[in-house]
Amino acid sequence: MNLWHNFHYAVAMVLFCVGLYAVIMRRNIIKKIIGINIMETSVFLFLISIGYRKGGVAPVHVEGLDPSRMVNPLPQSLILTGIVVAVSITALALSLAILLYRQFGTLDVNRLFREEEEEAG
Amino acid sequence: MKRLVSLLFIGALALLLLYVVSKMPPMGEPTNPTMTHVVPRYLEKSEGEAHARNVVTGVIINYRGFDTLGEVTVIYCALAAVLAVLGREKRGRIRDYVELSGIPSSVIVRTMVALVVPFIVLFSLYVILHGEMSPGGGFQGGAVIGASMIIFTTVFGLHLSSVKVPLKVRAALEGSAVITFFLVGIAGILGGGNFLAYAWPRVSQSLQPALVTWLTVLVEVGIGLGGAMVFVSILFAMVREEGADEPLA
Repeated sequence: MNLWHNFHYAVAMVLFCVGLYAVIMRRNIIKKIIGINIMETSVFLFLISIGYRKGGVAPVHVEGLDPSRMVNPLPQSLILTGIVVAVSITALALSLAILLYRQFGTLDVNRLFREEEEEAG
Repeated sequence: MKRLVSLLFIGALALLLLYVVSKMPPMGEPTNPTMTHVVPRYLEKSEGEAHARNVVTGVIINYRGFDTLGEVTVIYCALAAVLAVLGREKRGRIRDYVELSGIPSSVIVRTMVALVVPFIVLFSLYVILHGEMSPGGGFQGGAVIGASMIIFTTVFGLHLSSVKVPLKVRAALEGSAVITFFLVGIAGILGGGNFLAYAWPRVSQSLQPALVTWLTVLVEVGIGLGGAMVFVSILFAMVREEGADEPLA
């Protein structure tokens, strides 16, 4: 049973479900975007902890440092680019939310659907 | 009913994920599959091949250059999409909620921000320029500049910060990440190699390490400035109030 030993992974999974809960159950669009961000963060946490090595040091070459002691640099660089993409997603989602609010005066999903039906019907 | 089904779905997903986690190899063991394939090569040879002491920078700029080029394009596209949705501010006086609210922030906050922001920008330049040899790099430094501008804008308002970072500067630098990276890739072709390959048959072997290091720093600076300006432009597009453009009389 590795669940206790892998509790970093487990925390990441729980965070993912918290974010998914926010995305599915919350009616406010801003809270949904926060949920997406929580999910992204959980994935980052998961990948970074996969790259961990026991007693590892930062992957920067210094005189007299054995490269086999360094942590895995690959997840770190993937996450670095991933964070920037996450910021881009958030920026785009928030700007669409701003547009929705200017158009309808609300960020509540149910009310938005109602307004849309009224406009269509 | 719908809520119940959603909750059940999330609970089942959580149980499934935790089950998978409990079957994964223990964290931190050097024999894990993630540590064995390509990573030893990155760790052992990056100093000789990528000429970057920070392995993460070597992986981003050198080994996975294509990946990063695409990703830099993604943030540029995000900026384009945000501007397409919200519109770029026009020249002249622009206002946001800070100025429209009529309640100035306290003297302490204004003084502290005015004192601290220059140092934050200085630190971000350090992070960008030292990305080759210490933890840091273009993305991180750009994010730090963007964060400093967020603080500045929330306290002093959009008008003042758009005077500090004028539209001309931003429009010129927003694409610098993509352009620098692309030009460095072209330099690989001109040197007789492949696109984005940092090994040139036409350049003498003794020159190559220094050249690769300086090109890495150049790409980092491009990514840093470009990313920072993209963040600042997105921020300005977001905090601008609708109909708040006033032509400068």
